[in-house]
Amino acid sequence: MQVVKNTSPYVRKDVSTKRMMIDVLIALIPVVFFSIYRFGWDALIRIVVSLVVMIGLEAVAFGIMHRAKRVEGRWERLKSRYETYTINNITAPAVSAVIFAMLLPSKLPIYAVIIGAAFAIIVGKMLFGGLGSNIFNVAAVGRIFIGIAVANMFTGTYVGTDLIAGGTALTAVRTGAGFPYVLNSYSLIDLFIGNVPGSMGEISALAILIGMVYLLIRRSADFRVVVSSLATFTILIFLAGLKLYPGQAFDFTLFHLLSGGLLFGVVFMVTDPVTSPITRPGRWLYGLLVGSLVVLIRLFGAYPEGMAFALLFCNMLVPLIDYPQWATNKFKPAFFIGFSVILITFALVVYFGVGGAI
Amino acid sequence: MITKTRCIPDGKKELKKLPVVMHTDAPYLYYPVTNARCPEGETCVRGGQFVKVGEVIGTRKGAFFEQPMHSTVSGEVVGYEKHVDQSGQLVDCLIIKNDFKYEVLETLTDRTEEEIEALTREELVQIVKDAGLVGLGGSAFPTYIKLATKHPIDVVLANGVECEPNLISDYALMMTKPKRVIDGLIYAMKAAGAKRGVIAIKKKYKEIKERLNFALNEYSGYDIQVVTVGNYYPQGWEILTIKDALGIKIPQKDLLAKHGVLNFNVSTLAGIEKAVRHRLPILERYISLSGDGIENKNFRARIGTLMSDLVELAGGYKDKEIPKVFILGGPMMGTNVTQDDIVMTHTTTSLIVQNQVELIEEPCVHCASCVYSCPVEIQPVQIMNAFKARDKDTIKMLEVDKCIECGLCSFVCPSKIHLTEYMRKAKSFAKK
Repeated sequence: MQVVKNTSPYVRKDVSTKRMMIDVLIALIPVVFFSIYRFGWDALIRIVVSLVVMIGLEAVAFGIMHRAKRVEGRWERLKSRYETYTINNITAPAVSAVIFAMLLPSKLPIYAVIIGAAFAIIVGKMLFGGLGSNIFNVAAVGRIFIGIAVANMFTGTYVGTDLIAGGTALTAVRTGAGFPYVLNSYSLIDLFIGNVPGSMGEISALAILIGMVYLLIRRSADFRVVVSSLATFTILIFLAGLKLYPGQAFDFTLFHLLSGGLLFGVVFMVTDPVTSPITRPGRWLYGLLVGSLVVLIRLFGAYPEGMAFALLFCNMLVPLIDYPQWATNKFKPAFFIGFSVILITFALVVYFGVGGAI
Repeated sequence: MITKTRCIPDGKKELKKLPVVMHTDAPYLYYPVTNARCPEGETCVRGGQFVKVGEVIGTRKGAFFEQPMHSTVSGEVVGYEKHVDQSGQLVDCLIIKNDFKYEVLETLTDRTEEEIEALTREELVQIVKDAGLVGLGGSAFPTYIKLATKHPIDVVLANGVECEPNLISDYALMMTKPKRVIDGLIYAMKAAGAKRGVIAIKKKYKEIKERLNFALNEYSGYDIQVVTVGNYYPQGWEILTIKDALGIKIPQKDLLAKHGVLNFNVSTLAGIEKAVRHRLPILERYISLSGDGIENKNFRARIGTLMSDLVELAGGYKDKEIPKVFILGGPMMGTNVTQDDIVMTHTTTSLIVQNQVELIEEPCVHCASCVYSCPVEIQPVQIMNAFKARDKDTIKMLEVDKCIECGLCSFVCPSKIHLTEYMRKAKSFAKK
């Protein structure tokens, strides 16, 4: 009988990275089904294209990044590059691909989808070193890239049954009728169910919330970032609503919560552990920053929608939050002071900033 | 997943159901001359000499203390052989051939109640020292040094938490001999000059609580309580036990005695009882064989028995074609050994034989489960990254020396990264 060496601990918990990834894919099912139900083949084709591009390019990049062994035969050498290729090299890009596809409007040209997916997986992920090493959320990188690089292609691609062709509810607030009147064409119920124009995965709050509940029950997403970013967003938007439309502050808050990519981003993108801080206080802070940046971009920025931008910007701040000198898993007084100072600062900026007071 | 993990499957239920097999008469018994704490040692018996139970057969010498070795049988000294001890190292062992008469040394008569009553603090400490008692919870720290503290002690804690999975020897002891534990606790309180005694056990051990409370009815003159603490791992770590059972927060690396607390494993206390009442060292102890690679059994065996005999008695190994991992102690913090030729000493609590499972390390996805679960609140993943970059300053900034190597970080990692091993490497790297 052979006896092998090992070091403690000798038992491991029955969890795996694979399970985390598959949990996210399962949580995405309601959103994907809803998008296919709403947009039919358009949605399905874009999801499949995005999946093929991301998984395929990750495999290619993986092969290039790993050295071949000196063995006979071209095929054998190629195979030796893929010795450490695991299921996570398929599930992880699959998660990014589905999320990326869900961020797109249903009529976006296929080649724009290919460009975005390719840029996301190569520049956003593999150039940083692959799974676990990327500092930016992969899907958000792709979405922002095509949003800027091929901006023209987006006009008129949001399909809706509405007069304001090609615009989402949030663009309608910006360029169309303006706030309380927008509720006439997009009621809160429609926004909740998803009966509005918009990106494929972002429109149905209901489907997203089902996914969120699953993720949180399975503990494959950290509730801290979800609660923190949603709470911050709600507080700040409510303050803005109080100032702008004192009588309809609740409607204003709900409208903003349900429209745009906020819920989808909070549930599926901010919770991405790879690009999150690694301490409890850090994650609360991260959620706070994402939530408040979305509010700032929506209220003051040049874009009607700010989820992906806010996320990428906060991804940049993660190394700062995680810096060993101050990163700690304990809730120290400094954290509470810092958290409330940041929140109050943003609240003051929002309250006095909206409506052009300053 | 992304959450604090404190409950680990412990497999104790199955082990508790198994009967305890008595195996106290091995033909040959082995006594390590040195151990991990005592790098040197000498014997004071000759080959062919006849020794009796309880007789001093040698001394192990540590850095600041000496520890007598006792024979646990009567018989003839045969010679020396090399065997593996509790720490996994090959050491010289004295062999005594058992004559199956178990003659106890004449001077080792039981003390009467009056004699025990009359013992002073110094005498009690001396008795414990002469019995060669060490911490049986795993530390193997000499007990008399703890008892002889200069600090005023308010409370003595009997630690019966036993949070490691697969270990049930403390449980068995408290279940079968609660009075010995309580007596030992009273002697320890007397030796340390403490007024109060607390026995800490797990919340789920309701039967133990009842049993101890029932036994305590006879000791109404003493201030002894049974306190239940959580069923978590590593609840048995003294700092956590003290915090939850007594509400005293002690900073790591601080001497417990400074805060007026002494913490003993319940087996150690039972050993004190034996030394005080019967003038005997520990002769026998509970030991369990568990794991998926071996027929599981509980034993009560004489100190000095070879583990390979117990394995044979239990029924041998299962699935011999699968490579095995041998663990002495618990599966979270136990020592790894590479052969079953192990001498049972009084600190050996269990042998676990596992079928080897190949684990593939995936890249870290920063899920932070290790950070959330760490009982000393350091950041294992950051330390690992700093160690990979050989960044000594950052490792020190991250306070790697706080790590108690409880193994939770490796346990929870979804990518199966062996973080605990990185912590050990980082510790020794930072010290260099």
